[in-house]
Order: sequence, then structure tokens, then C-alpha cells
Amino acid sequence: MDLWHLLFTLALICANDSLSADDDLLQWPQISKCRSPEMETFSCFWTAGNLYNLTVPRILQLLYKKSNEEDWKECPDYVTSGQNSCYFNASYTSVWTPYCVQLASKNEVYDKKCFSVDEIVLPDPPVHLNWTLLNTSQTGIHGDIQVRWDPPPTADVRKGWITLEYELQYKEVNETKWKELKPRLSTMVPLYSLKTARDYEIRIRSRQRTSEKFGEFSEILYVSFSQIGIGCDHCTEEVEFPWFLVLVFGVCGLAVTVISVMLSKQPRLKMLIFPPVPVPKIKGIDPDLLKKGKLDEVNSILACHDNYKTQLYSDDLWVEFIELDIEDPDDIPETDFSASDTCDATSDSDQFKKAAEKEEDLLCLDRQDNDESLPSLANTDLQRQHRNTQSENSHPWAPFGNSVESPHLSVHTQVSNQNSLASTDFYAQVSDITPAGRVVLSPGQKSKLGRAQREGCTEQNFTMDNTYFCEADVKKCIAVTSHEENEPHVQEQGYNEDAYFTTESLTTTVANLGASTAAPPSSEMPVADYTSIHIVQSPQGLVLNATALPVPDKEFNVSCGYVSTDQLNKIMP
Amino acid sequence: PRPDAAAFSAEAVAALALLWLLVCAPGDAGCHPLTVADLFDRVIRHSGRIHSLSTALYEKHFPSRDNELGRPARKCHTSGMLTPNGKEYAQKIPREELTQVILKLLQAWKEPLSHFNQHIEHHQELPDDSLSKAKQISNMVHELKTGVEKVTEKMQSMGIISNSLNGMASSEGTGLSISNEANMMSDSDFIHCFRRDSNKVQSYLKILKCRIMPENSC
Repeated sequence: MDLWHLLFTLALICANDSLSADDDLLQWPQISKCRSPEMETFSCFWTAGNLYNLTVPRILQLLYKKSNEEDWKECPDYVTSGQNSCYFNASYTSVWTPYCVQLASKNEVYDKKCFSVDEIVLPDPPVHLNWTLLNTSQTGIHGDIQVRWDPPPTADVRKGWITLEYELQYKEVNETKWKELKPRLSTMVPLYSLKTARDYEIRIRSRQRTSEKFGEFSEILYVSFSQIGIGCDHCTEEVEFPWFLVLVFGVCGLAVTVISVMLSKQPRLKMLIFPPVPVPKIKGIDPDLLKKGKLDEVNSILACHDNYKTQLYSDDLWVEFIELDIEDPDDIPETDFSASDTCDATSDSDQFKKAAEKEEDLLCLDRQDNDESLPSLANTDLQRQHRNTQSENSHPWAPFGNSVESPHLSVHTQVSNQNSLASTDFYAQVSDITPAGRVVLSPGQKSKLGRAQREGCTEQNFTMDNTYFCEADVKKCIAVTSHEENEPHVQEQGYNEDAYFTTESLTTTVANLGASTAAPPSSEMPVADYTSIHIVQSPQGLVLNATALPVPDKEFNVSCGYVSTDQLNKIMP
Repeated sequence: PRPDAAAFSAEAVAALALLWLLVCAPGDAGCHPLTVADLFDRVIRHSGRIHSLSTALYEKHFPSRDNELGRPARKCHTSGMLTPNGKEYAQKIPREELTQVILKLLQAWKEPLSHFNQHIEHHQELPDDSLSKAKQISNMVHELKTGVEKVTEKMQSMGIISNSLNGMASSEGTGLSISNEANMMSDSDFIHCFRRDSNKVQSYLKILKCRIMPENSC
């Protein structure tokens, strides 16, 4: 409680003090401002303060001193500028001279200020404001006026002793905020687009050009269009910018556009709005074609190029005939049956190696020439494609025959016999000769080998006098019935390789044959669809090879189509 | 808002360039010889720009507290020069003397301004824009002096004023001592003094122009 008592007492004391202080607040006399309206005279004004209630009435004096003087002098004129002022006329004014004035009574100095006259210039307000109508708008709602005034009379602007700037402010009568124009040197200003239905107020103030402070405002000028008879009281209000409508329509339009763009799944419109950026197209084969197995398209593309000379005829690939003439049997080279032969058909050395193969085949072919069944050439690697073809014997070997510059060799294959035996599967049409000397055969028809072939196979005896055997006999027995299932597979395999249908060595015709013989007709037996020319050598003739086929028996190591005796023994029952 | 100082200087350079280039022979076609009044207008405008620039510089960095109490009066190095301190005096003294006063003032500031430039560059007391303004001022003062000299020559050639301007030599001599005094001023005093003297020059030029024209009752 003591604490509270103490605090309360203190508060009371403070309040008392403050209250008493307000009454006795001593306001010292102060020099409020010194001002020169035209840089020729100046005046100083002060406030007297509230010293009146003190004992001795104080008489205030304003003393002044120039900077180069020592003595303080008293104000020359206390009257002209009003009460509590001191007026210095032109004779007492030195413009660029520093002055000091001080407000003092007899003993005390209350205030002191130092300045120079050129720094305290505050011009008087302009006078003689008036306005004239420039023009009105066609509707009569708006009008332009020109406001003119005169500079303050005290300022000697004409001689250029002082340069004044003017700032004009205007507003409608019932507004509160003044609109300002930029300060300018001229004494006339146009005001544009004032509403004729409203009344305006205008006021102007001036300042010295190189100073910041403005003088007092002039008297207010009232502008009223109705006074001169062009007031338009009944005019409609000006149409303001229809912000609301613009906003609504803008939003609607935008929404419509967005919705249309989003909803339009039509590629055409999409292309129109978002045209596709062209990607660089490289000439080549679309891998999709290869994937989908569209050999024709691929081949057609390849045919366009000069490098590719494959031309696959989609039609029947009936081998008309092949002529092989062996004029000089002595020239037949030795055969090479090494299993390690690399079946790199692309190397010429292999071709020479394989020359011997041809020899044997040729021999076989010759032997079979009379037989008229030349499945050896045709059957093996024919009929990759699943085609319903007819026995088109007329399909010439002509391209091949003409291109192969081995007139001495001709292999006669009698297609007609083959037709009877099997379908055209056994034949391949030479579609092109590669620059490397290989003959490219296009796939033949799907064979429609009948049962007869199979039947024939079983009866035949394969000559197995040595490691070499005559394929012709073996190939006879190729069953073709199971082509359908294998063809796509085989075909795919084939097309997954190079575009070149390269010649290969004689392949597993024997194996196939063997398999075919053992299997019933319904069994799936892969048969070579293609007969590709393995070696083309002028004097030697052609060696037709079957392409690699899936061997039903894994044990067979098909090496370039040569089957060793042992393997053959395995095949044969 | 004060006009841009850069615009000022560019305008001034252009104006003074025209000043010197367009004094052409009366016989030329399309060539309008500048009258003395035109020349005066240009130098007056130029001096006005100098004053505005110096005011802006002073008020930005040494903001004047209004009517400072007890501030010691600044002592400028040109305070000793006898210059008319009122309109009446400016109207009374002979035109030659008025012209000479103007030239003396401009001469008195030539050296101190170059020293000031070097000083503020090394001491970096002012920011960059003020630095550029200060440099501009010294260039413009030099241009103005050249311009006033040209105007004086024209007036003398036209017989408006007599050729008795021979006091320049003496002003050169006193200029050196004055310059030494100026180097010892503070930056604030320096700019304040210059601002005042630029106002003097502008006002004198205006009165001089008024006095040149016979139709004005100056």
C-alpha cells in the first residue's frame, strides 16, 4: 500500500506541475521569417512571445549587421511591413551580402538569424487572373480555356532582375484536391477538357526560378461556363469506359478460346494452332517396317538407292531354267569340305574355296539334267514367303542368265518337272547380281510340294560314297508342306539380315531333307526358301545354296551346308 | 523539379557552338546573323544553367537549414571584389564597368574550380553524380567566360561600349592570390560562394542586356 500511495502522490504532483506549466509556458520572442519579394528589399517578421505578464515590459528591437560590419544597427522601419516586422528598403539592402539580424531587448538577445538576400526571395502572388474560352467539343460537354495573369507587380521581371516561375492549380468547385500543373515561365496556360457543366477554381503561385520555395497563392479565379452561355446542364454524363463490359467479354472470349483449344482433338485444328515442328528426316528405312515384316516396302525403299540392287519381285519366282555348261571338267577345282569354312559369303576367297562345291553340284546337276528334277537348285532355299503362287515356269532366269557372264555354264533345270513334284518352292529367281559377284535370288513361291516328293524321298538312296554327296537327290525329298509355319519365321530371319541375300554355302538341305523324310507330312519341317547362288565363277558355274534354316536336330552343326557323313548318318534312318 | 543538368550542359554546348559558328557575313543566303540580343540571350541562359546546377549541388549535399542560427558568415575569396550589390547600382555604373565586373568574376573562379575538381576527385567526398555536376560546372564557367568575351567584342565592334577594357591584366594578377585563398575553403563554403557569384553573374548579364537595348527603359 505504501508503494501505491507513493505512486499516487507522484502522479498528482506531476499533474499539478504540468497544469501549472501550461499556464506559465514562456514563449520567447522569435524571428519567424525574413523574406524578400523582389530581391531589392526585404522584411523580417517575429513573434513577440508571452512575456507580457512579466514585471518589466520588454521592448523588442531588431538589430542587424552586415558581415563586413562590426556594429549592430537597429531596424530602419518597423511599420511598413506591419506589426512585429522590420522593413529594409532598397538603400539598406545589399543583395549578395550576408546579413545577421537579432531580436533583442535591452539586455537580452532572444533570437538571431543570418542569411543573404538572394536566398530569401519569395515572390508575391501573380495578379490579374482571367480566363478565355478557346473552344468546346462538338457535343458541348467539354471545353478548353486559356488562363492568363500578370506577374507580381513588385517583381521587376521586365528588366530581368528576377526570373519567376508560375505554378497553376485548379479543381472543380466541389472537389477537395487541387490538380497541379508543372511550373512554367510563361504567364499564360491553357486548360483542356474541362467539363462545361461544372465550375472550376484556379489559383497560381510563383517562385524564383532557381529556388525551391513558392510564394503565396494568388486569389482564386472562378471559371463558370454557364456565365458565358455555353453551359450544358442537360448534357448526359460522359460515357465512361465500359470496364465491366470489356472485362466480361474478354473473359468469355478467353474461355471460349481455351475450351476450343482443349476440346479440339482434331489433328487438323491442332496442326493449325500448333503446327508440328519438322524433325530432320534421314533417308533410310523406317525400322518399323522391318519390325512389322513388310519386306516389300523395305525392298522398294532400298531399290531406290543406287547401292542397293535388290529387286524383289513380289510375283512368282519361278525359275525358268538355269544353264550350266561345263566345258572343261579339268578346270574344276578341288573341293574343300572343311567344316571350319567360314561361311563368309562376302569374301571372295570363300567363293574360290567354294568353287569345288559348285563342281559337285554341277556334276550333280549334270547328272540330273536328264532327270529333269532339279530340286537341288531350286528347292533348298526357296519359298520363304508365304505366297499362293502358281507354277510360273515362265518366270525367267533371264536376269540371272544375262547377267552372269558365264555363257559356258548353264544349268538346266526343268521347271516343269519340278512343278509336278513340288511347287515353285524349289526355284528361286535371280533378281540381281551384286557387284561382288554374288547372285541374289529372290524368294520363290511357297512350295506346294506334294506328297509325291516325300514319297520319293524315302525310296531314294543317297549316295554316300564319300563325304560328298549329291544334294540333288537329297533335295528332292524336301517336304514343303510345313512351310507355312516356318516361313514367317524364316522369312523374318532372312530379312533381318542384310539387304543382300548373300550367297551361302550349301546348307542344310540335307538335314531338312532328312527331317522331312522322317517326319510325316504334317510335321513342320523348315525348308529353305531361298536358293542363293553361292559362287559365281565363270567357268565353274553356279552353286546354289540353301539359306540357313532351323535344324530340327540340334546335333547338326550345319557348316555351310555341308554335312559330314556322320551327320548324315544320323539323319538318315 | 529541376531540369536535368546533363540537358543543361548539352544545350549550353550546343548554344555556344552556335554562338561561334553562326556569325556569318550578311551576304550569305539563308544566313541570319545573330544580333547582340540573341547573343545575350544565350549567355544569360547559360549562366542560368550554371546557377541552377550549383544550387542543386549545394542543396543536395549541404542542405541549408533555414536561417541558421549563429552561422558565421562565409568568407568567399571574391568578397573583396567591388561588385554592385543592388539593381540600382547595376543600373548606374557604366556598361563597360559592368562588363568588366562580369569578366572578373568569371576569371576569379576559373582556377579555383579546376582545383576543386582535382580535390573532390582525389578525396571522393561527393558521390558520382555530384562529381559529374561539379565537373560540368567548371566546363560551363569556362564556356561562359568565352561567351561573354565574344559578346564584349561584338559590343565593342558595334560601338555600344568603348574599348576601354584594359583591366583584365590586373585582374589576372589578383586572380592568383584569390585562388590561393579559395583553395583553403571548405567544400560547403566553396559551393555556397560559387552559387552566390553565379547568381551575381546572371543578374548582371540581365541588366547589361537591358541596358544595351535602347527601347528598354533600364
